[in-house]
Amino acid sequence: MIPLETLTSCFQGLLPAWLCTCSRDGVPNVAMLSHVDYVDSSHVALSFQFFNKSKRNVAENPRALVRLYDPDTLQMIALRLRFVRTETEGPVFEKMRLRIEAIASYSGLKGIFKLLGADIYEVLDVAPVEHEVGLPAPKLAPKHDSCVPFTMKALQEFADRIHRAATLDSLLDSVLETLERIFGFRHSMILLASEQPERLELIASRGYPPGGVGSEVGFGEGIIGMVAEARKPVRISGMLRQMLYAHAVAKRAQERGLCPDDRRIPLPGLANPESQLGIPLLAHDDLVGVLCVESNASYRFHEEDRAYLEVLGGYLAIAIQNVLLRERAEEGEEPAPAPGHSADGHGGSRSPAVHGLRPGIQVAYYKADECVLVDGEYLVRGLPAKLLRKLLHEHRAEGRDEFTNRLLRLDKSLQLPIVKDNLESRLILLRRRLEERCPEIRIAPSGRGRFRLELTGEVGLVEHP
Amino acid sequence: MSPKPLISDALAAFLESGLSVTVGTRDGQLNPDSSRAWAVRIDADRTHLTAFLYTKAATAILRNLAAHPEIALAFDRPIDNRACQVKGLYESSRRARPGERTDVERQLDGFLSQLETIGIPRALTAGWRTWPCVAIRLRVTQLFEQTPGPGAGEPLR
Repeated sequence: MIPLETLTSCFQGLLPAWLCTCSRDGVPNVAMLSHVDYVDSSHVALSFQFFNKSKRNVAENPRALVRLYDPDTLQMIALRLRFVRTETEGPVFEKMRLRIEAIASYSGLKGIFKLLGADIYEVLDVAPVEHEVGLPAPKLAPKHDSCVPFTMKALQEFADRIHRAATLDSLLDSVLETLERIFGFRHSMILLASEQPERLELIASRGYPPGGVGSEVGFGEGIIGMVAEARKPVRISGMLRQMLYAHAVAKRAQERGLCPDDRRIPLPGLANPESQLGIPLLAHDDLVGVLCVESNASYRFHEEDRAYLEVLGGYLAIAIQNVLLRERAEEGEEPAPAPGHSADGHGGSRSPAVHGLRPGIQVAYYKADECVLVDGEYLVRGLPAKLLRKLLHEHRAEGRDEFTNRLLRLDKSLQLPIVKDNLESRLILLRRRLEERCPEIRIAPSGRGRFRLELTGEVGLVEHP
Repeated sequence: MSPKPLISDALAAFLESGLSVTVGTRDGQLNPDSSRAWAVRIDADRTHLTAFLYTKAATAILRNLAAHPEIALAFDRPIDNRACQVKGLYESSRRARPGERTDVERQLDGFLSQLETIGIPRALTAGWRTWPCVAIRLRVTQLFEQTPGPGAGEPLR
């Protein structure tokens, strides 16, 4: 019998698996399976999403056969099974549920496309199907050609980059750069917990077109939201196949009026990723954020990647907390500058002609929605919006263009929480968002815990109730 | 008045369009067995169906059917997972005729084209053995909807 451990790639769901069962009165049944998961060396778990004939059959006759493909070679593998039990909680169920619900949320199918149970089967035999051999042996695709080189040296370099980062800003960028350069993750993003409950905001990304900073993901939405909700890693391979499966379910549900929520949550990052891996950034019991890596390649992320990134994620979460504490402690050592005086003696205005920017822009702050629009286009909301309003207001009223984080913290109108106020990450988000969408307003770091507001041309501020 | 044919013209066209076809049978101990069929042909009476399986892959299937005629065929269109299941009773088997090879290859080509659409190149399926085939004829007794989602498993109307 082929050891189950050698078939990990077959359990990624890149191609549909087929379950063949037989009723007590001898009628066979063949059904497609959305997920087959490895449990241990003698058990697998099959997804149970809909009450169907297979389910009834194994309840009266536990013998079953699963046919699944090795996605690297398309060799068909047959697993002879015996149904043991259905689990509706626990790690096996949870791992399967997170993947299925991530796919469901991408398809607007939350609550319909869900896991009812993980059916545990004992594996009696595993054998290749002789006449469905896939690729001829000499052309066998390398199984782990894209496997990440998680060597001790690579891990040391990653740790070194984290230690050298003096600010949250540099920490986030250097982590994503290191993930690409050393580990080969070309598309990555970090989302940090927002001040809004159960929401995350994209603060740093690599390998994507600009424009994503500030994108929001709610808990439970897509792979990132599922990672945040469950505080567990989620790895999805073969997304195209799984999305097709989910869309088939959506179509059937809509035909029966069971799918009133037609909202689609757009995939963050790549338009159609084939593989995604999300890691919670946990420091003690706090969810700091989520790290997500993506690829257009099927089965890009392996179990080893998940395990190593989970370790790196824990390290990164603590590093984020530490750098924030350090920045906060150091900002108190510098005095707040007086209004109208830049630290370097320069004013806060730039010439639009020099920079090729708009000669004048109108910033609208909507107090009720805590939202900022620039020339009618959405820019930011929440705390970053309140921060921008405050900066522009003080610049206009007092001529101030130099600010410190400490000064902002003392402003009660911003309603920052006393502990864990996320000010640094909100400022980074605001600065990056401005760079992408409104370069006429610039927030330029000018020292530890301080920055300069630089405006180009006429910047009007209109405040709405 | 003759009874309404079990398989409609539209369904027959779908079944013969080049799909993933998985055949299920069972032995005397109720152990299920399964193999892939590369093509099917619906008889003019719309009640009988012939499935074409690679001969060497059909050994266990034919052994099962000789003693236990119950048979199931699951059809799936990979690009959208439209699926149905045909259940029936085995009637006979024979070697596929040379003249039938063209239709088997046409349906196989349709299936492989669909796999290409979802990212599985033909190079990966080049090792599949598809000919010679054995032709297994069965009388269709039931049809079921099997597109994933609510209603999967209900009788097909």
